[in-house]
Amino acid sequence: MILRLTPAAEAEGELAAIVGVENCIVDPSELRVYECDGLTGTRVRPLAVVLPASTEEVAAVVKIARSYNLPIVPRGAGTGLSGGALPVDNGIVVGLSRMNRILEIDFENLRMRLQPGVINLDVTKAIAAHGYYYAPDPSSQSVCSIGGNIAENSGGAHCLKYGFTTNHVTGATVVTSDGDVVQIGSPCADGVGYDLMAALVGSEGLVGIVTEAVVRILRTPEKTCTLFATFPSTDEAGDCVSGIVAAGIVPAAIEMMDRLAIEAIVKSTHVDWPLDVGAALLVDVDGPAAEAEHTASRAIEIARTSGALEVRTPRDERERELMWKGRKGAFAAMGRISPNYYVQDGVIPRSEIAVVLREIAELCAREGFRVANVFHAGDGNLHPLVLYDGRIPGQAHHAEKVAAEILRICLRHGGSITGEHGVGADKAAYMGEAFSEHDLETMNSVRCAFDPHATFNPGKVFPTPRLCGDRPGVYVPHQSELSQQAARG
Amino acid sequence: MIGVSLPEELTPATLGEAADVMRERAARGASVTFVGGGTDLGYGNPPERIDTLLKTEKLTSIIEYRASDQVVTVEGGLTLAALQRRLKTKKQRLALDPPRPDSATIGGLLSTNGYGPLRTRFGTLRDLIVGISIVRADGTLARGGGKVVKNVAGFDLPKLMVGSLGTLGLIATATFRLHPLPERREWHVLTARSLQEVRTLCRALVDRRLEPSSVVALDATPAAASAPQSRETYSVYVLFEGFAASVEAQGARLAVAARDLLGADARRIEARDKIDVATLDEEARVFGDVRLRVSTPPAFLPGLDREVLAPLRSAYQKSRTVLYPTVGAAFIGGIPANIVRFVTALNQARAAAESAGGNLVVLECSDLFVREQVDVFGAIPDSFPIMRRLKERFDPQRRLSPGRFVGGL
Repeated sequence: MILRLTPAAEAEGELAAIVGVENCIVDPSELRVYECDGLTGTRVRPLAVVLPASTEEVAAVVKIARSYNLPIVPRGAGTGLSGGALPVDNGIVVGLSRMNRILEIDFENLRMRLQPGVINLDVTKAIAAHGYYYAPDPSSQSVCSIGGNIAENSGGAHCLKYGFTTNHVTGATVVTSDGDVVQIGSPCADGVGYDLMAALVGSEGLVGIVTEAVVRILRTPEKTCTLFATFPSTDEAGDCVSGIVAAGIVPAAIEMMDRLAIEAIVKSTHVDWPLDVGAALLVDVDGPAAEAEHTASRAIEIARTSGALEVRTPRDERERELMWKGRKGAFAAMGRISPNYYVQDGVIPRSEIAVVLREIAELCAREGFRVANVFHAGDGNLHPLVLYDGRIPGQAHHAEKVAAEILRICLRHGGSITGEHGVGADKAAYMGEAFSEHDLETMNSVRCAFDPHATFNPGKVFPTPRLCGDRPGVYVPHQSELSQQAARG
Repeated sequence: MIGVSLPEELTPATLGEAADVMRERAARGASVTFVGGGTDLGYGNPPERIDTLLKTEKLTSIIEYRASDQVVTVEGGLTLAALQRRLKTKKQRLALDPPRPDSATIGGLLSTNGYGPLRTRFGTLRDLIVGISIVRADGTLARGGGKVVKNVAGFDLPKLMVGSLGTLGLIATATFRLHPLPERREWHVLTARSLQEVRTLCRALVDRRLEPSSVVALDATPAAASAPQSRETYSVYVLFEGFAASVEAQGARLAVAARDLLGADARRIEARDKIDVATLDEEARVFGDVRLRVSTPPAFLPGLDREVLAPLRSAYQKSRTVLYPTVGAAFIGGIPANIVRFVTALNQARAAAESAGGNLVVLECSDLFVREQVDVFGAIPDSFPIMRRLKERFDPQRRLSPGRFVGGL
């Protein structure tokens, strides 16, 4: 008797042969962990989750998936907030968590070579004793991975001065949809050819799987001065941000928290911040000692003239760490004041913070929601948290609609729908409001140059499913271009 | 010349006109080459075909300047100097100082990835650009990025266009993040007897946590010419910027480091010395018939000297070298002594740079023999198939400066 396997079962068998049965997850109960990322409201069960251990295994896995026409969703630590690692129905998830080795530390050239599963904070931990660090610091840095950071072009509080992941990753080994292993970027300052790293970082898993990355490391600044200032409202705090910037200071970070956010942080971390204030700023300035000390004293003056109720500086490193722990734990702290929240990631021009915060407050009040704000004020990257109770039928959906309206406010003010969380599955629907059809088609051209088969992470980023043409590598004109050519006659 | 038709030159006055030109040329199948200030037209392979030269000299608007947000949007034909003049009124700047700012345009600088000494601290245009709009080969307008500094919505078209040499589309507008003009700028100069010493100094800057805005090493300068020097002696210029107290403190610490490690005397350049480092840098970088750019890892500096620059220098009858040692970039230009020997030296230098993980690119070459004998870009990158597909997607009829880029793209 010949036992006929379904194609899915055959694929599973081949994948397991590559990575080992224990690293090829097909059991429905075990798959549940992988049904979503940090955007927990949306879930899809994949056909299988594969956990390769090397570049070669990733390449072999991709080839098998391609031969069965299975879509592939790459996954890092699964902490993303936009559903970028949300599985695709009948697709496989390639999890990079086992590839978590630091391969090389090169202090002479100020760089490190990493596998994608290395945790962001572990990069800095490996070099901190030598007086170096890795700059991009998303709030999830103790759990998120470098591969995920590359996919999302992750930011963080200290990106204002030091830039984003895209400014700190200089090279990558990438497995393409053909299963080829390609080196992208250059070990040197000036590469030759198109800047493919620009397209790779922030591509949200749509162009390939990064199996190694070269990142820049920086010398720890000689001195960092931190100050914490409270204000009657977000208006005065916003003025202070503008004042600091207008004084020619480029702070390492300026974070704003409003009253509700402060309340949540105080309840969860026991920092001794006052609860009867409208807003607070947490500011870092750094550099050579003379620079940091000068800018800190200027920033304190500006906070006072902007109407600060109180300005504090941490007594010691321990207190400074506590302040930052409070800020970075803000999302998690929301559980203290609300059963659920929906976080947005819109960006606005910095000078419009006060106006936009008022608009958001009015919108939420009108719709019957509380909103907490904790965000990167220096670069205008808002994180409004719409608080709701998921146990009340319809509230989650309503909160999501309010959050969508917040993005439209950001767009009206000349901003963006996402500053660091990515578009993913969550915000794909709004890309058409931020960009024209030509813009999106151009972005799709970039994606198709990498992945002509549209194998990786289909359904993400773009508002409607897009293909790359049926024959790989051969250009097929888009419909709109054909009609234009026809019109030109 | 008989039988060769000169390309038509067009200078659209608006972006709409530029798009019309592109659409019309697409319909005719005519090839188009973009021209900004013309400062780096010699860079890249000569295009196989130029039917139309689209000059951006009239596309010079500053579309939106929001000083309080430190963001500016400009048209591609604006010169860098004109932009800097406007930004200066609000005590801001684009942190970029390439040679020839009076003629170099924003579109041209983006296309060639032009940069100067400030790269040491601020990186290149890819680190400063936040938004772009391009006119695609078929005349459609496409945008990427936006008007805010932090933005991850969609693919990063702005950075992708940097260094693409006009082969993917016309850069219509660009949006940049700006920096405050520093309260104080101070250049210091010292003499290093070798690139090993330059490297030692650069290491010390990192170890001692100094944060220079520029570190530039020049092998032959008017200032140094009066002093008897060996060929390998470098004048190292270090720029500190920021608030006065910090700039002064860092200058003093540089002097200590130079004395301790090199036994060298670091001297602050007073305004009355009339030494303009940007001009020195520019003079050196535009010197000669054959100009090259070498990029190698920063720690390779001594090897760069020995294996790359030395053979080239011996094949030039006269040359100048500028290095950005913390970055690992060197520019060398000069007049080849014997062109056959020069080609051999260039190939040898290129092989050494490439085996160190770097590259050697010919920026300008007015010598036709050398041009025929050497490739402009050197080894084809591993990711070339992706680059080729990118070109196919953006320019399917191969009409935008065809053949100018790497591997004949």
